[in-house]
Amino acid sequence: MSSAGSSTAPQVREAPGATLVRLKVEQASYAHMATDRSAPTFTLGPISFEAEGHELVAILGPNASGKSTLLTLLAGLNKPLSGRIEVDGSEVSQLDLRLRAQRIALVQQESELLFPLRVWEYVLQGRYPYGRRLRFESDQDCLFAGNALAQVGADPLRDRWMDQLSGGEKQRVILARALAQQPSLLLLDEPTQHLDIGGKVELLRRLRRLADDNRYAVMVVTHELDLASEFCDRVVLLHRGRCLRVGTPAEVYERPLLEEVFEAPLQVEMRPNGRPRVILQGS
Amino acid sequence: MRPLTARRVALVCAALGATLFVAVVISLRMGAYPISIPEIVMTLVNRFIGRPNEIPPDFWNVVYEIRLPRIALGILVGASLSTAGAGFQALLRNPLADPYVLGVSSGAALGAIISLAIAPQTAGMIQFAAFAGAGGTIAAVYFLGRRGGHVDTATLLLAGIVAVSFLSAVIMFLMTTLPGREFRGMAFWLMGDLASPPPIRSHWLYLLLVIGVGSIYTTSSDLNLILTGEQEARHLGVNVNRVKIVVYVAASLLTGLAVSVSGAIGYVGLLVPHLMRMMFGSDYRLLIPTSALGGAILIVLADLLARTVVAPTELPVGAMTALVGAPVFIYLMRRRVR
Amino acid sequence: MDPFRNALKIGLTAALLSFGVLRASADVEPARQNRLPLAVVPGDQIVTDDVGREVKMPAEVNRIVTLAPNLTEIVYALGLADKLVGDTNECNNPPAAKSKPHVGEPQNPSLEAIVALHPDLVLATTAINRVETADALKRLGIAVYTSNGEGQTVLGILDSIQRMADLMAAKAKGADLVAQMRRRLDELHARLEDRPMIHVLFVVWLDPLTTIGQSTFIADALRWAGAESIVLSKQNWPQVSLEQVVRLQPEYLVFAGTHGESRATELTELRARPVWRDLDAVRAGHVVNLSEKAIRPSPGLVDAIEQLAHDMHPEAFTVGSGDRSPRNGKQLALERSKESIPCAR
Repeated sequence: MSSAGSSTAPQVREAPGATLVRLKVEQASYAHMATDRSAPTFTLGPISFEAEGHELVAILGPNASGKSTLLTLLAGLNKPLSGRIEVDGSEVSQLDLRLRAQRIALVQQESELLFPLRVWEYVLQGRYPYGRRLRFESDQDCLFAGNALAQVGADPLRDRWMDQLSGGEKQRVILARALAQQPSLLLLDEPTQHLDIGGKVELLRRLRRLADDNRYAVMVVTHELDLASEFCDRVVLLHRGRCLRVGTPAEVYERPLLEEVFEAPLQVEMRPNGRPRVILQGS
Repeated sequence: MRPLTARRVALVCAALGATLFVAVVISLRMGAYPISIPEIVMTLVNRFIGRPNEIPPDFWNVVYEIRLPRIALGILVGASLSTAGAGFQALLRNPLADPYVLGVSSGAALGAIISLAIAPQTAGMIQFAAFAGAGGTIAAVYFLGRRGGHVDTATLLLAGIVAVSFLSAVIMFLMTTLPGREFRGMAFWLMGDLASPPPIRSHWLYLLLVIGVGSIYTTSSDLNLILTGEQEARHLGVNVNRVKIVVYVAASLLTGLAVSVSGAIGYVGLLVPHLMRMMFGSDYRLLIPTSALGGAILIVLADLLARTVVAPTELPVGAMTALVGAPVFIYLMRRRVR
Repeated sequence: MDPFRNALKIGLTAALLSFGVLRASADVEPARQNRLPLAVVPGDQIVTDDVGREVKMPAEVNRIVTLAPNLTEIVYALGLADKLVGDTNECNNPPAAKSKPHVGEPQNPSLEAIVALHPDLVLATTAINRVETADALKRLGIAVYTSNGEGQTVLGILDSIQRMADLMAAKAKGADLVAQMRRRLDELHARLEDRPMIHVLFVVWLDPLTTIGQSTFIADALRWAGAESIVLSKQNWPQVSLEQVVRLQPEYLVFAGTHGESRATELTELRARPVWRDLDAVRAGHVVNLSEKAIRPSPGLVDAIEQLAHDMHPEAFTVGSGDRSPRNGKQLALERSKESIPCAR
């Protein structure tokens, strides 16, 4: 299982000013076994794309397009049937659990906490992948956790109890824990689900800032067309398990394509800043 | 931000250890036979410096044959049950879990009944059979509780509940149909009774205790994470399935150990972890050792009460923990509802 | 959580510690005059008790502790009352036994209390005491003799009494007592041998309805009294359903003192209960209430057998002198059925 697992920095050293490829997906494919044998299995792929440091990439598509499946592949939870998925040059599904957690951080909707926990304790748990299995956190761990809290603007929440936080505050704290992992790849699974429009914008703004300020790649699984367009550098468009297009929002948002994928009457308008806007046609 | 340090764990354990020591001293001192602290000390010292003949036989009997074995057993049982309870509460993600919810004590009781029916006079048979029953149940529930090759918490819990009711029914059936037997001893065993120390050399039992508590302790960081969500823990690098197996086996063995030697003492495994959480926090790196020590203290004191409160009648210690435990539990429950 | 709480806890512990030590040393009470050494010396005889355990008997038995009411009665009947230094809190016969020092309940006596009394011999019985108690006493070096109480016959009880008498150096008195009991039993036997057995239900407990099994001493006692339990069971205390009782219609109901001493109240209660009141036995008033003291495996058992015989077979006693009149009145002419009533399985 786990090796001595001391703190490992990413293997590749970055030249100042250059961005590195954090995630490389090459012809990755996967197939879900359906529980009912008569039902068709769900296949994903083959998909190829890359994500670099400082990039905010959206995995876009309607429900049942394979976004979550792709996410599990990126997180190393499933092994692709063919092709490769690499983070910082290492095949993800081959990585030791702790090493993987040092490279990839996944943010999901949180399960219910059973016992009271303070915010800083929760965020400090993000340092688990570094160090021995049974250990007490070092000063450096506290430093990283503190930085993570600051980056999401949750520093004043530090001593609060987790179950007393509002939904938005909790989400920021969960994000902070993921950042404390010091990942090379930050993955978020439909993070805007329960937020109102103000919350959605705030979150995406924050993700944009994180991507700009840090060397990791940020990938967001979403079906929110406008948010993806406004904030993301690139978009991976999925439809029924196939990857239809990878590129900037301007490149990907073509009306016939979007209409086919989202099965809704849409119109695409290009705005002066080069980012398209999607408008729902009335009937 | 003041994270838990090894130093703090050591300090708290030292404080609890000192409390346990005081409890042991008080428990050694009190009882139906009048003996004073200097006489107790004299008895202990003479034994250690190898002069057992200097000790009056009465003192020897009272200190070494009656009180000390009971206290030692109490420490063993209290520590085992409380640690197992803390482990199960994490494993099953349920604050109401106690060590018996997965059927270990029912299996042990069945073993005990069968041994009483077959060989009631053989010394040590009942403990051995109880442990065998516990072991069988642990294995059965584990295999029932697996799903797709790994331990699924909800399925495990269901399997345990089924095991408990099935085994209880079998026990009831046996108790009413086995010929010519009076299961008098069973009543005491079911309530929890520290008066019958097992014939095996105690240091093996303590070794098992240390191994059990130690195994669970090695997973305490993992448990902290698992308690925030299994998926989340997996993403942070925890080998969740392996941790679950380790905790399941260790906690079940600890429970089987305790139940085999003293019957099913109730409330300890449920309450002590909660009490320790209230006093020292939910971090399992501190909760495991404090539960073990806290459980030992509780049982030693409960047993003391059980044998002195209506002397010379001796109440079974399980009755005492239930009498005190139930109101405390109700209080804790109301506090949670806040 | 914070250093202050830690310090508080340590301080509290230290305080407790000092308090404990102070309190403990405050009442040092070496009542040394009460401390006699245990009297087991090498070269004592070894006997085997009723359950096969080897007992190392001291040369002299001067201090006896009994762990069950019937054993206390036996000790008194053998004239050894002044050697009895301790009994249980359930030992109520004879009344003097209540004021002896108690060691707790028969099922769970306090080992320390027993040790404090320095007994030469502890008497136990399989009828009430647990194996663990006898084991623990043996480990402490105290001689404990366990007699067989459950699966005994009445004659077996007599043997037990004789054996215990031998043990406690009361051989002659024991032989006397046993002979007396045997004589009374033989006399009863002679009077009753031509009589058909009366079918009875012996009620140990009403709810749930519990009776006795065939191998208990009570069943044997019933036979000596000219009665047969309608329930045949290998268990010692089988539960039966009321339906079975209605089907079998016992001629007599015998109660074991569960509802007090008075027969009259027992009958009245039964007459008020549905189903019970329609039983032949209840309608005819054939209800016998024995005190719970009477059905112990002790000398008092013979009294109970005689009482039962008188109640159920009154015509066997109308001829002859020296009859004891039955304690509870009601002499009904019994209608004896010629054919035997089938018994329960």
